[in-house]
Amino acid sequence: MTPGRRLSVGVLAGVWLLAAAPRLAHPHGPGASRPAVPGRQALSSSPNLGVIRPAPDFTLVDFKGRSVRLSEFQGRVVLLAFIYTSCPGACPLLTQRMALLQARLREARLLPSRVGLLSVTVDPERDSAETLARYAKGFGADSEGWRFLRESQERLRPVLTAYDEWTKPIPGGEIDHPARLYLIDPRGRIREIYSLSLFDERQAYLDIQALLRESR
Amino acid sequence: MMICGCLFAGLLTAGAALAEPCLSPYVKRLAGPEKYLYVSAVDADAKDNDFLAVIDVNPASATYGRALTTVDLGSAGNEPHHMGFTDDRTKIWMGTLLSRRLFIIDVAADPATPKIVKTIDDITALTGLHGPHTYYALPGRMLLTFLSSADGNPPGGMAEFTNDGQLIRVFKNPAGAPYAYDAAVKPQINRLITSSFTPLRNYSKPLSQWDMKDGGNTLLVWDFKERKLLQTLVTDPVPLEVRWSLKPGKAYGWTNSALGDSLWFFSRGKNGRFSTRKAADLGKGCLPADLRQSPDDRYLYVSCFMKSEIQVWDVSKPDRPRLHDIVVPGVSPNMMHVSGDGKRMYITNSLLSTMDYAQNFWVRLTHIGPDGRLKMDPFFNVDFTKFPTGPARAHDMLLN
Repeated sequence: MTPGRRLSVGVLAGVWLLAAAPRLAHPHGPGASRPAVPGRQALSSSPNLGVIRPAPDFTLVDFKGRSVRLSEFQGRVVLLAFIYTSCPGACPLLTQRMALLQARLREARLLPSRVGLLSVTVDPERDSAETLARYAKGFGADSEGWRFLRESQERLRPVLTAYDEWTKPIPGGEIDHPARLYLIDPRGRIREIYSLSLFDERQAYLDIQALLRESR
Repeated sequence: MMICGCLFAGLLTAGAALAEPCLSPYVKRLAGPEKYLYVSAVDADAKDNDFLAVIDVNPASATYGRALTTVDLGSAGNEPHHMGFTDDRTKIWMGTLLSRRLFIIDVAADPATPKIVKTIDDITALTGLHGPHTYYALPGRMLLTFLSSADGNPPGGMAEFTNDGQLIRVFKNPAGAPYAYDAAVKPQINRLITSSFTPLRNYSKPLSQWDMKDGGNTLLVWDFKERKLLQTLVTDPVPLEVRWSLKPGKAYGWTNSALGDSLWFFSRGKNGRFSTRKAADLGKGCLPADLRQSPDDRYLYVSCFMKSEIQVWDVSKPDRPRLHDIVVPGVSPNMMHVSGDGKRMYITNSLLSTMDYAQNFWVRLTHIGPDGRLKMDPFFNVDFTKFPTGPARAHDMLLN
């Protein structure tokens, strides 16, 4: 299967899955978590986001060839995801959820001035700059607010290690890897880690707001 | 396995595929049937070093049902107890109840030959708490419960660490409910429930000297994202395991009261508040030490440590369990571990060195039929009395 074909199948799968996933409630105003009803997740607008550890700095390259250094985002909240574009299901679903988050952040005029989204491929050999560009375009990524990053395997490896990410090829071309997203505060500290399988962009939005309130 | 494809399925079926019941929902799933069983082992007379035993549980292997190796913990008298995987299933955290050591063990490089990659020599100095009990994976982190404060008295509490053992933060139990034990999160409803046992000052003594009033009878309901205590619920004395329903979004579950010989049901009402009710009488003298679930959420397994039997309860009606089956695996069954497909349950028979009354220790296997009934495997019996260091007490288990 060609990369382009894989991409379109993946995007379609993500969109389909999102449509098939339980409908999610919209967050309400400030206050305690809402009781969940079947198919909805409870949210918290006052999350207790402890300092987990400093976010290791890195320099990677976006699909336009521009260097992107994490420490340049100091003063902004960053959501960092590790993906690969030929991932058949969860990565497109996650990316679709990040697209929904992007829409919320744009609406609130927080992107890119106060929040940055970063998606790093763990599969740079197959995810060329062109492939990443198509993938980003497929999800309507804002070219300034949501950067898709890659590097050579050699230069990427220490970045993955620093984030406790590892990759393991498995038969069929898929890649086993820890499915996590990192929320980084304006001072460059990891404040929340999400599981890809339980990532809820509405809660991530509330977490981002909480970190922005802190930095006022 | 947390490959994208399996997650894809997992999102819709919420852990139905080969998910081992009772693990944190954040732990990566096994890609297929288990091959190795890890067992925490306490040297029986506390003179030789404690260890982690690796048992071959691959039926196709020539060494099926035998101990393949042991991982020497390097010291004696620790009372290694419970264990937990990190979210990516590359490491096991194993703590101790009588020393202050905690071990982080790599099981990814070679699952048949785990290696200690870090020993925290004084977890108490680090946290102000003693006796880590439950090791609950969060994304990129571990949430631990502790049975006591540093001095061995209540309150216990919780602490969070990075996967490589850096402390993030500590939460002590409130003064009104100071006893701690287990913890379990239901992410979809943003709730954490913790339970209550007894502190070091009590459990370090022989059972005959225990103060049976020095223990908890509470479940604490927390807002998980806020790490904020919301409610204190009351049960019979010493509610141990916290088992949420495995069905996505369901806001109910069960716990076993060790000293009440009872099974308790907790659930959230329409007003958003949780309540408890006694759901089943397990029979006088049971001392239910462990509580496990079938992956389809239909059955609960209760080990009666003092009555030497395992009871199967049908929870098709969650608040009205019905006794479905009983097996007798041997003297003093304690910890149980159900495979991801729900067809096998491994059993050990040591609870605590201060509580054990069996003469011999073992790991045994029961097969779980499609009708939910248990059948002991007469050929699977790992004898824990014949290690080079002598007998060892087999306690908690994990599969890989």
